[in-house]
Amino acid sequence: MTTSTKGLSDFVAEATEILDALSRDLAILDRRRGERLEPDLVNGIFRSAHSLKGLAAMFGEQRIAQLAHQTEDLLDRLRLGRIELTEKVVDALIESFDTFQVVLAETSRRERSAVATERAEAVSQKLAQFIDSGTVEQSDALDQLELDTQVRNVLTEYEEHRLRENLREGMAVWKVRAVFDLSDFDQGLARLNSKLKSLGEVISTLPSADPGDGTGIAFDIIFGGKVETEKLRLALTALPASVHPLFQFQPQPAEPSLPLERLVSPTPPGAEPEHRSPVRVAVSNAPQQASGALPAYANPRFGTADAMVRPSPKQPDGEGDPVGRGLTQTVRVDIGRLDSLMDAVGELLLIKANVARLAEQASRGGKPPPGQLWGHELHRESRLLERKLDDLQKGILEVRMVPLGQVFDKLARTVRRIARESGKEVDFLMRGGEVEVDKLIVEALSDPLMHIVRNAVDHGVETPDERERLSKRPRAAVAIRAMQRGNQVVIEISDDGRGLDEERIREVAVRTGILTRAQAEEMTPRELQRLIFLPGFSTASRVSELSGRGVGLDVVKTNISRLSGMIDTHSERGVGSTFTITLPETLAIVRALVVSVSGRVYAVPLNAVSEITSIAESEVRTVEGREVIGLRGKTIPLARLARVFELPETELRRRFILVVGLAHRRLGIAVDELLGQQDVVVKPLGGRLRHTPGIAGATDLGDRNPVLVLDTGALIEEVVNSERRPELV
Amino acid sequence: MAAFADILKQFFYAPDEDVGELFRPSIPADEMTLLASQERPGEYLAFFLAQECYAIPIDQVREIVRVPPLTEIPRSADNLLGVIKLRGEILPVYDVKMRLKLCERPPKIAGPEVEPGSLTSTSRILIVRDPEGDVGVLVDAVREVIRLKPSEIESLAPGIGGGDHLVGLGHLGTDLFILLDIHKALA
Repeated sequence: MTTSTKGLSDFVAEATEILDALSRDLAILDRRRGERLEPDLVNGIFRSAHSLKGLAAMFGEQRIAQLAHQTEDLLDRLRLGRIELTEKVVDALIESFDTFQVVLAETSRRERSAVATERAEAVSQKLAQFIDSGTVEQSDALDQLELDTQVRNVLTEYEEHRLRENLREGMAVWKVRAVFDLSDFDQGLARLNSKLKSLGEVISTLPSADPGDGTGIAFDIIFGGKVETEKLRLALTALPASVHPLFQFQPQPAEPSLPLERLVSPTPPGAEPEHRSPVRVAVSNAPQQASGALPAYANPRFGTADAMVRPSPKQPDGEGDPVGRGLTQTVRVDIGRLDSLMDAVGELLLIKANVARLAEQASRGGKPPPGQLWGHELHRESRLLERKLDDLQKGILEVRMVPLGQVFDKLARTVRRIARESGKEVDFLMRGGEVEVDKLIVEALSDPLMHIVRNAVDHGVETPDERERLSKRPRAAVAIRAMQRGNQVVIEISDDGRGLDEERIREVAVRTGILTRAQAEEMTPRELQRLIFLPGFSTASRVSELSGRGVGLDVVKTNISRLSGMIDTHSERGVGSTFTITLPETLAIVRALVVSVSGRVYAVPLNAVSEITSIAESEVRTVEGREVIGLRGKTIPLARLARVFELPETELRRRFILVVGLAHRRLGIAVDELLGQQDVVVKPLGGRLRHTPGIAGATDLGDRNPVLVLDTGALIEEVVNSERRPELV
Repeated sequence: MAAFADILKQFFYAPDEDVGELFRPSIPADEMTLLASQERPGEYLAFFLAQECYAIPIDQVREIVRVPPLTEIPRSADNLLGVIKLRGEILPVYDVKMRLKLCERPPKIAGPEVEPGSLTSTSRILIVRDPEGDVGVLVDAVREVIRLKPSEIESLAPGIGGGDHLVGLGHLGTDLFILLDIHKALA
């Protein structure tokens, strides 16, 4: 890897953006399986793959470039109609997208594992299989057209393909000749184009071979649409255009939905049930694949292409992969928001100039301004400063906000995959994707949401057969909704599946010894439902025993409460379940070191800690009665946290020392144990406890009680600046 | 097993307790209408501290919760028992018994050195509204909601009560309720 760090992060950021776009388009493609293919959509995906290829090649990322190249090839054939968009092709595209994510994640960590390389190659080969197989023989429909060979020769392959498609769908095709004045032909052409687009598809715009009279410029527009020639003429009356039919539109009343008709399989239903999509029943009309002519499908290595095959361990999995999280630390920012930040900074500079002027006035040898007036002015400036700093802080928090939709798109893919794997038909509804929350929250939410949604599809909703027996709609609905409520964001995930089985929960709780029989009988259904969030509840029971809803939900709860959020559930047997997550809009998240002293747990902001070491009791010296330790030839004061906080001290031979502070104001803080690192949300204690010395706030580590966060700055002040403490003498 | 039951009890957000039974009108309903024009009774929440029954205006109480695990605040005032988290909010919990001279020192209910027996199954925390930020007050048990008319409140005679945190004494039948100014008791 020769790329510099900057180059690498640029690459990862840009590639992530492309993949985001790709993900959105693929999600649409996936959702519309079996519907008429939208040329613009496939074209868009093609372009994304193309830019990814170029980008990866530029940065020397061979694995991505190679795979992108194959994907691009496949999409190129797809948009030219050389191969059909079948279930398997969509699956392969999604798989290649997942692989991009995995490889990109590795690249961002400057790693290169054999597993990922192998996977990229496997996917690449699979795409190649499609490409090789995909030569759809065509009796050339274009021969029916009364098209000049001259014109036909200049049509691009893509344009020819669109022309064929239009013919196949029974559209009429015209040549529209338009003559414009040279001075404003661009506007005229734009007007004509927009008029035509409302009626059909503009396949190609060509400068006319026959320029007409000398003053203007003529265009031949090949246009396909389902209108009658007279109507088209009428629509274009105001424009300098004439219409020449190339192929007549024939109304076919017997088959009104002709375009859809061609999607129905020539093979009888049930001939290949394993290829029926559980998401949307649309059967492919690609006989060359249905017949099993592709050797790749017989090969177990490519077994993942078949939706019904159980996922192999290497199968990309939303929860296991790092793909759900953002790989980049970049945030795209609306320029307007940056402008307001700039304004705030500008005003801060003004205030600074004012303060400097006041300082100069006071220090000038000449006549000093009256003290009261001077103080008054200084006071005013400080108030202004406070307000502007407030604005600045708010502005910066706003910049950190990103829409929740980013996560939702990823969830949609997961839902479809799991539905396919478990043979269920699921409509996934998303609302409120535009609601914005802090980027860190969005990223930390990805896993918990994935988990809940996965549970909903996997265990919550029933199979189509079962649903029919229960006289429910065969297609289950799983919905995710986000709402803004004050400065909180509420996310609801609901399904119309079988709901939680309270009896089952009660039984499992009693059997695993979580509750006594009497306790269990006393609990209300709602209390029982909440048991599923209990740590250890799920591991103590079998997935199937609870309709699987208990799996790892304690982890979800812990993750949510770490974001200062809450999760609750409401479920009705046979009707469905709803999980409600309430979150703050923004967070002050810091990475913290979790330590313990005398049996108490504290969090220390990691950015305040410059070094961690450990010392034996015998290494502690005293200077004038105050304890000090040596740190690589320097002597720094030592503060035992237990002593500073007046806690009962524990006897230990060795203690951990957190070195905090800078340069001459350093301090070693002695603690008993290091428990780990964690991202924590610090909440100020507020109210009456605002001025608690040495404590910056409290946080939730998923324990039942709050954990205090140390204010190392205040501790340094206290210990370094204090007079000799009497208890140390 | 008992420990696990405790964990369970703590695990849930303490559900709203049914307060229906707490209401005890001081007078039968038919007499109420008659009296309404003359005197408006005030509603008070009555609770036990040690063996004494105290009451504070009910509109000062935001909610009543079971006692969750507390985190002690190092080097804090004696009457600060610790902090709790309540639906994501961090709230301080205070002892008022010491101020009311009902005990020598506040019970130790936070941190690893909890004194056994300092909390009972009836112990509750009243979350009291306060302009400086809401606070929790530990009580031994919640008794009921009572209605007291001004005429049922006796002002304190000299020699009764040791500070301005007592407002008066309420009488309901033979029961005596000590009316507390909770903000002064916390100060």
